[in-house]
Amino acid sequence: MLALDRVSKTYPNGVQALARFSAEIKLGEIIAIIGGSGCGKSTLLRAIAGLDRASSGTVTLDGEAITSPHAKIGIIFQEPRLLPWLSVADNIGFGLADLSAGERREKVARALERVGLSDKAEAWPRELSGGQAQRVAIARALVPQPEVLLLDEPFSALDAFTRADLQDHLLDLWADTRPTLILVTHDVDEAVVLADRVLVMRPRPGRLFDQIEINLARPRDRNSPLFENFKRSVLAALDRSLDRSVPDRDATQGPGQAMWW
Amino acid sequence: MISDAPALQQSSEQADSAAAPSRLARYARPMLGILLPLILALGWELVVGLGYSNGRLVPPPSRIFATILELARSGELTRHIAATLWRVGLGFAFGVVAGTVLGAISGYWSLARRLLDPTVQALRAIPSLAWVPLFILWLGIFETSKIALIAVGVFFPVYLGVMGAILSVDRKIVEVGRVFRLSGPAMIRRILLPAVLPAYVVSLRVGLGLGWMFVVAAELIGASEGLGYLLLDGQQLGKPAQILAAIVIFAILGKLTDWLIEVAATPFLRWQDAFGRAKGA
Repeated sequence: MLALDRVSKTYPNGVQALARFSAEIKLGEIIAIIGGSGCGKSTLLRAIAGLDRASSGTVTLDGEAITSPHAKIGIIFQEPRLLPWLSVADNIGFGLADLSAGERREKVARALERVGLSDKAEAWPRELSGGQAQRVAIARALVPQPEVLLLDEPFSALDAFTRADLQDHLLDLWADTRPTLILVTHDVDEAVVLADRVLVMRPRPGRLFDQIEINLARPRDRNSPLFENFKRSVLAALDRSLDRSVPDRDATQGPGQAMWW
Repeated sequence: MISDAPALQQSSEQADSAAAPSRLARYARPMLGILLPLILALGWELVVGLGYSNGRLVPPPSRIFATILELARSGELTRHIAATLWRVGLGFAFGVVAGTVLGAISGYWSLARRLLDPTVQALRAIPSLAWVPLFILWLGIFETSKIALIAVGVFFPVYLGVMGAILSVDRKIVEVGRVFRLSGPAMIRRILLPAVLPAYVVSLRVGLGLGWMFVVAAELIGASEGLGYLLLDGQQLGKPAQILAAIVIFAILGKLTDWLIEVAATPFLRWQDAFGRAKGA
């Protein structure tokens, strides 16, 4: 269980990026976080990853406070961020330095096969296409078997076809060990395809606005009317989140937030 | 993977188009570079051979090679080359060690950079030859002052190269190291060192070039052996062939040592996606 309790982040320049964000996320749940630009999605993700510390509030994983990167939490960035001086196989095995060489080789080989890049094991990252590189990044994050995998707009730099392909692929990989996935995205389609629950954030300062449960069986058909319905309700929530005349759902909760209006 | 098919196809096309002219290109391109000096040398040889010039001030290639052979036969050449190589090697080693250590400290630790860098930059602004009189007073006229001068010349490019390279390491790549919870030493070994290496090799090569420059200065100032001494001796005794012979040997040694660094670094830099590499292969 990943618990976010009133997580706030104010940057040194005074910008409040995130205000009292609370959520509880069960093991194995797939969460999509969506919202307008500047709504603090990435700030939230970096706080969960332990890359940045929240100004106030806590992030706890199974009762353990997260203040720095944690072995059970993996992250995939918008760019693949592969190390250019390591082969594809060594990139995937980067987080497995503690294992013996044999064990590492075995795990890496299995991961390569799983992402369909066995033939690229000895290639350099520069020789990969964008989609292949991101698949290597996914394998690198998954191979240490994290409990929570964070994804920061992981497919936004790819073309639509590769993106849909990788979304399906991600679900496929997720089914192996069923970690918690927290995906930041600005793509409504992506959120509805992947998530059990969509958290809609509203900007300035970034906070939780609404959440929508997606009760759709997988695999999901992107063209079914039900899918369209969910897409419409996420879009509607997104629209309302950007409309300043709509008050926060829980505006009465904190005096700080009420005063902000 | 349908989405990847165009990329694969493209790269195989590139490989095909590169394969056909490569045999010719591989030998023809370096040959093209040799063509001009070769024509000039042969032309001058011909001019002197046909008696249009006596070649006393500008000796033809044959006379330069004769001088080199003569020096080699008498064992003089080995002695001079050894002396010069020894000085360059030692000065280069000291300069590289000092430049690497101080550059790494300044690059890694911003407090040290604020303390140290302004002074180093101020010292860098001094033309290095201005140190010569002081080094001679401090360290004597023998080997120590020469090696110190060479080390100073090597130090600055290495220092700047290392510091700049560390400062420009991609924050995003460092973050990958943080996500995998690398300790300080592991971060240096697995992220910073490989990231810095390409720029470091360049700074070593620049440093070595300056080392060769300063060994000439040091040996011109006062030496009883070394290639610089051959230059001075040739000037004082009016032997242009000896001067040119020393210059030719300087060129060969400089190119050779530079090539050694390049060859030593190549296995570590194969991953680079460099412009020149893609075209050259």
